[in-house]
Amino acid sequence: MRYKNCIGKKFQPMNKYATLYIVLLFAFCCPVQSQEIIDKKTVIHFVPIANGKPVQPDSIYQNAFGETYSVSKLKYYLSNFSIGSKVDAGIYLIDAFAADSVILQLPLNAKGILHFQLGVDSIYNCSGAQSGVLDPLNGMFWTWNTGYINFKLEGYSAFSSTNIKNIEYHIGGYAGENKTMRKIQLPYSLPKKTQDIYIQFNLDNFWKSSSAFKIAELPVITSPGKNAKIVADNFSALFSILPQ
Amino acid sequence: MHKPTPVAFETPKGWPKPPTEIFARNTLTQEGFLLGKKLFYDGLLSKDSITSCASCHQYFAAFSTFEHNFSHGINNRFTNRNAPGLFNLAWKTSYHWDGGVNHLEVQSLGPITDSNEMGETLENVLLKLRTNLPYPQLFKSAFGDTAISSQRLLKALAQFTGSLISANSKYDRVKNGKEKFNVYEQNGYEIFKTNCSICHSEPLFTNDKFSNNGSGLNKQGDVGRKRITGLSSDSLQFKVPSLRNIQLTPPYMHDGSIGYITKVINHYTTIDSSLPQLDPVLKTPIRLSDRNKAELLAFLFTLTDTSFTKNKKYAPEENIIFRH
Repeated sequence: MRYKNCIGKKFQPMNKYATLYIVLLFAFCCPVQSQEIIDKKTVIHFVPIANGKPVQPDSIYQNAFGETYSVSKLKYYLSNFSIGSKVDAGIYLIDAFAADSVILQLPLNAKGILHFQLGVDSIYNCSGAQSGVLDPLNGMFWTWNTGYINFKLEGYSAFSSTNIKNIEYHIGGYAGENKTMRKIQLPYSLPKKTQDIYIQFNLDNFWKSSSAFKIAELPVITSPGKNAKIVADNFSALFSILPQ
Repeated sequence: MHKPTPVAFETPKGWPKPPTEIFARNTLTQEGFLLGKKLFYDGLLSKDSITSCASCHQYFAAFSTFEHNFSHGINNRFTNRNAPGLFNLAWKTSYHWDGGVNHLEVQSLGPITDSNEMGETLENVLLKLRTNLPYPQLFKSAFGDTAISSQRLLKALAQFTGSLISANSKYDRVKNGKEKFNVYEQNGYEIFKTNCSICHSEPLFTNDKFSNNGSGLNKQGDVGRKRITGLSSDSLQFKVPSLRNIQLTPPYMHDGSIGYITKVINHYTTIDSSLPQLDPVLKTPIRLSDRNKAELLAFLFTLTDTSFTKNKKYAPEENIIFRH
């Protein structure tokens, strides 16, 4: 709370107490900011789970409504990682069934808040052909309605109303009220000798957190709009720090 | 090392500057343009290795498909919309009839991969280009090394399509003081300015916006702009096309449902103004006498730019296969 208050004061007009505020700001904020750096790099590991078990391709899980499903593809973009005032400008495409970690050029404090965004900034959605993780070859780009698919979950469910009983959530949209990028912040505290942060990705919360939806009602979302926004509103609840 | 030769992108006299600099991150060069042109005319980009961009965007028809409501894709499939002419693309802020594409560089991803059009995967296109001479060398000339990536492919295509400028019709020559309208054309121009120019604004002859012009829902169930925005208020709205080269781009409308310009004019003089969500500017019926219609037609023909359709710079270097 104190940190938030300090930021808030910065935007108020300077008055005769300004000096006092600045002194207080240094007195309370700086010890936290200048905390010991335990490594020059930060390695983030992602641990996807559902029903308390690791997510494996084609295993059967159940959502909060008792609907069973399997996952064949689970990919999403993360970007704008920061700890304290340090920022990693990279964009990362996380594939739950491929490499489980990303190495960030971020000095790691023992205690702090890890900030990141699920999704690709709007500028990359409207500046023409991109490369690297943003290459359309990665299958995370819409050709008919320009923009990146920020989050992709595909699989099967007996509760799906489609012909082939599939589920397909391609969540994107970069502009206006239906934008699907979400800022996430995770406070963490680490043992002294590590460069690793373990993040649990809990698929249970995909179906039910701030907004709930059933497979039977929404088996397929493949365009920006209000349904994509419903799913995006659950993004931040997917992530939590695993204690070490 | 050989460096590509930069080419200046020039705005025709009296035209506004393009709303965005489409070549800001894609330096227009002679080598990039020529590579883009070769790619545009090469069937290699499609699944059947015959259907090229040029199959549906024919240079002699101002890069539309001449006299086809829908174009032929691979496997005897048809597109769902009428292929628009390609010119003055740098002045657009969105592409396709529904405006779903926001940048020229990513436009070609649609037709290359669509199963009704060229039906190929991006992976296969790159594989074919990497193993077909002289492409690695052409990419080196344009971009400095032989690497062939999707980004380079798309940027090269955009260098060609973004350079297609049609600005030398009789209308332009009149505007530049080099020629004069005859009396019919002049009367037609006045009729145009009064009745058509709100949407088909000079000098591009489009305001680049979306409009429900009363065409109604077709058999394809095409709702137009609504598919992109999800808004029911955008239902049946389509991009206002440019009227430049209209003589060369029949049939007309987003689905090619009207075969002749005279019938298009009749469409606008007989619109049912009670149609729901009709563009408000069309609520007041356009009233034209037969003579007025003929004069308007005479003016519209002054928008034909044969120096564009016969420009060797844009035409194929060698004979190409058209499947129509």
